[in-house]
Amino acid sequence: MKFGLFFLFFLFCHGAAAKERLFAYDRQWLALLHYQSGIFSEYVGSIDSSGFYLAENGRYDPEAELRATVELFSKRVDSETICRFPARYKLLLNNRLIKKIDVKCEEYDEFLSDLRPAGITLLFTDAYMNNPSSMFGHTLLRIDTGRSGTQLLAHGANYGAFTEGKENTLLYAVYGLSGGYEAGWTVRPYHSVINTYNNIENRDIWEFQLDFSAEERDMLAAHLWELGHTRSRYYFFTKNCSYMIMEMLDAVRPSLALARQFPLQTIPLDTVKAVYRTPGLVKDVNYRPSRRTEIVNRLEQMNLRQKRAFLRAVREEDHDLPEIEAAEKADVLETAYQYVQYQFVSKELELSEYRRRSFAVLAARNRLGIQKSETPAKPETVSPLRSHEAMRATFGIGSRNGKIFQEISYRPAYHSLTDASDGLATGAEINFFNLKLRHYDHADKTVLDRLDILGIRSLAPADELFSPRSFTIALNISRENDPLTGGEGYVLNGGVSAGKTIAAADSLYFYAMGGVAGGYGGFLPRNQYAAFELTTGLFAGWGSLKLLAEATKSFSSSRFADRMRYRAEVGVSLTQNWGVAAEYLYDENEKGEDDEEFVTSVRYYF
Amino acid sequence: MRKIYMLAAVSVLVGAASGAQAIDSTGCGLGSMAWRGVSGPEAQVLAVTTNTSTGSQTFGITFGTSGCDPQGRVTGGTQRMVFDFIQNNMEQYALDAARGEGETLETVAGMLNVDKKTFAAKSQQYFASIFPDDNVDAVYVTAKIFEIFAV
Repeated sequence: MKFGLFFLFFLFCHGAAAKERLFAYDRQWLALLHYQSGIFSEYVGSIDSSGFYLAENGRYDPEAELRATVELFSKRVDSETICRFPARYKLLLNNRLIKKIDVKCEEYDEFLSDLRPAGITLLFTDAYMNNPSSMFGHTLLRIDTGRSGTQLLAHGANYGAFTEGKENTLLYAVYGLSGGYEAGWTVRPYHSVINTYNNIENRDIWEFQLDFSAEERDMLAAHLWELGHTRSRYYFFTKNCSYMIMEMLDAVRPSLALARQFPLQTIPLDTVKAVYRTPGLVKDVNYRPSRRTEIVNRLEQMNLRQKRAFLRAVREEDHDLPEIEAAEKADVLETAYQYVQYQFVSKELELSEYRRRSFAVLAARNRLGIQKSETPAKPETVSPLRSHEAMRATFGIGSRNGKIFQEISYRPAYHSLTDASDGLATGAEINFFNLKLRHYDHADKTVLDRLDILGIRSLAPADELFSPRSFTIALNISRENDPLTGGEGYVLNGGVSAGKTIAAADSLYFYAMGGVAGGYGGFLPRNQYAAFELTTGLFAGWGSLKLLAEATKSFSSSRFADRMRYRAEVGVSLTQNWGVAAEYLYDENEKGEDDEEFVTSVRYYF
Repeated sequence: MRKIYMLAAVSVLVGAASGAQAIDSTGCGLGSMAWRGVSGPEAQVLAVTTNTSTGSQTFGITFGTSGCDPQGRVTGGTQRMVFDFIQNNMEQYALDAARGEGETLETVAGMLNVDKKTFAAKSQQYFASIFPDDNVDAVYVTAKIFEIFAV
C-alpha cells in the first residue's frame, strides 16, 4: 500500500514534469516569452529587462522559465510578481498547468477598467509632407474601447525609444543603431494620438481593425501590461516600433508568425503589408486624413466662388461673404478655421492672434445656424498597401559615348520619383545604397558605375496657402572621367540644395534649387573639388508614366566638375512591382569633350 | 548591411538637427494642445527615425494636458471625464459645437449618456454662451456644458 502510494505520487510528479517539458515548447508559450532563435543558443528572449524572465537562465531556456513561472503561480506568495504577469497566468490556467488563484491586483484591474478593451486595431501613420524619410511610416496599436461615445476614447499603445537625457543630436544615430537607447511601451488616449499625428505633424492615419476574438483581445491587453514593465534596447532598423508590434501580435496568435518575416530589417510599411496579407486578420480598414489633407481636400471640392471667398476669409478676415450661399459659406468658414489651426501649429501665428482669428471664424460659422454643412467626401487617397515593394533590381542596356554596356542595379530601399507613386507621397524620393554595375562590351570589363549611399529629394509644391521648401540631399560614389587628363576613377560626391517647387497642374511640377556640392577622389587634380550648383527641372506624373528632366550648372573649384549637366528620366510602371525606364544624360564640359549616355531598363520591385 | 547604410543616412541627416523641443505651455484654452514640438525638416527626420517615447518609469496610461484646473473647480466622476476630454480637444470641440456635428460631440454625448442628435443641436444653439470669447478655457466650457444640459 505504502509502496503503491509512493508509486502513484511518483507517476503524478513525473507526469506533470513531462507535461511541463512539452508545454515549454508550445508555440504560444514561446511567443508570449518572446523567444526567437538565437545565434549562440537555440532560444533567446528579445526582452532585455532582467525581471521579465523569472528563471535565472530563463531568457535562454523556455523549460526553466516555465518551471519558474508555474512555481510562482503555485506558491502564491509573491503577489507583486504574480500581478506582473496576467497573460502568463491566463495561458497556464487555460492549459491546466496551474490552478485558479485568488490574488487581488489593483493596479492591473484599474489599467483594464481604463482600457475597457473591445477590439484591437493596427495604426499606420503616413509620410509627413515634405519629408521623404517619413515614407517608411510608423505603426502603433490601438486598444479599441467599449465605452459609450466614440473610439476617440480608445487608447494607443506605442513602442518607442526613451531618449530623455541622451538627446545629443550627434549621438542620436550612434545610440540608435547600437542599441544605446532603452525602449518600452507607452499608452495614451487615442484622441491624443490623433492630435499628434493628424493635427500637429499632419500625417494621415490608416486604421486596420484586426479580427481578434474576445479572448485574444484580452490576452493582448494582459500582455501589454506585462511588456509595459519592461525595457529593451532599441535598434532603429531592426528591433524598432514595428518589429515589437509583430512580436506582440504573435504572442496573441502564434500561428501568425509575423516577427520571423523580419529577420534583418523592419520597415513599418512592410509590417502593415504583412499583416494585411495574412488571411483573415484584417477585418476593416479606415482612413483618418490629417488636417492638411482635409484642408486640401475640401478646397479641391469647392467651386471657384467658394475658393475666392475662402482666400478672402483667411487673408482679410472677411466672414460675411455675401456672394455665396449659406451652405457653401459653412464649408468655407469651417475650412478657414482648420487653416488657422494649421497656421498656428506651423508657427505662422502668435497665440493671441490665433485665438482671435479662430474665435471670429467660429462665431461667424455658428451664426449661420445651419445644422449640417455638407460633409466633405473622404479624399481619394490610394492606400499605402498598394505601393511597390521597397527593394528594387533593374537590368538595362545602354551606350556611353557610343560604347555599348549592360547594367544591373540593386537598391534595398525605398522609392525614386520615377517609380510608381501609388500609395506614397508625391514628389518625394529616398534611396539607400543603390548599387549599379556595368559591363562594357568594347573593353570587356565590369565596373562599379555608381553607389548612391543616400539620395533624398523632396519636391513639395508651394502655393498661396502652403509654402514648403523643396530640397535634395545626395551622397554617392561614382565612376567619373576627368576630361582634362582622360583619366578614370572613383569620386565620393556629396551635396545639398534647397529651393522652390510650383505645381503648374496637379501632377506637373517645376522646380528651381541652389546648393553646394563637393567631392573627393584620388585621381582628381588636388584630390578634390567644391562646387556651387544651380538646378532647374520639371517633374510630371501622369498615371503610370513619370518624367523627370533637369539641367544643372556647376561652378566648381576644379575644372573637372565645372560643367552643365542635362538629365532626363522616364519611368513607366506596368504592374505594382514591374516597370520600365529610360534615362538620358548629357554632360557639357568646359574642354568641349562632352559625355552622352542613354540607358533603357526593366525594373522589378520585391 | 542594412545598419551600415542607415547609419550613413542618419549621420548625414542629424547634422543640422536640433533636439526635440519642450512642450510650449499655452494655457488651457484654444491652442493649448497645439504644442509646438516638432518643426522643420531636420527635426521631423529625427522624429521619424527615432520614434521617441516619453513616459515615466511606472507603466500606466499617460493622459494629455493636466494642470488646467489648479483651483479644483471640476469635481465628480463624469464631470472630470468630460473635462479631461475637453481640455485635450478644445480646438476640434469648438468647431464641432459651432457647426452642430462631429466626433467630439458624439464622444461627450456618450459620456453624458444623452441623445447624440439633441446634444449636437443644443451645443450649436448655445455655442455663444459655451464659448463667449476667445480666451475661454476648458474649465469654463465644461461647467457650461453641465449647466446647459443639467446633467
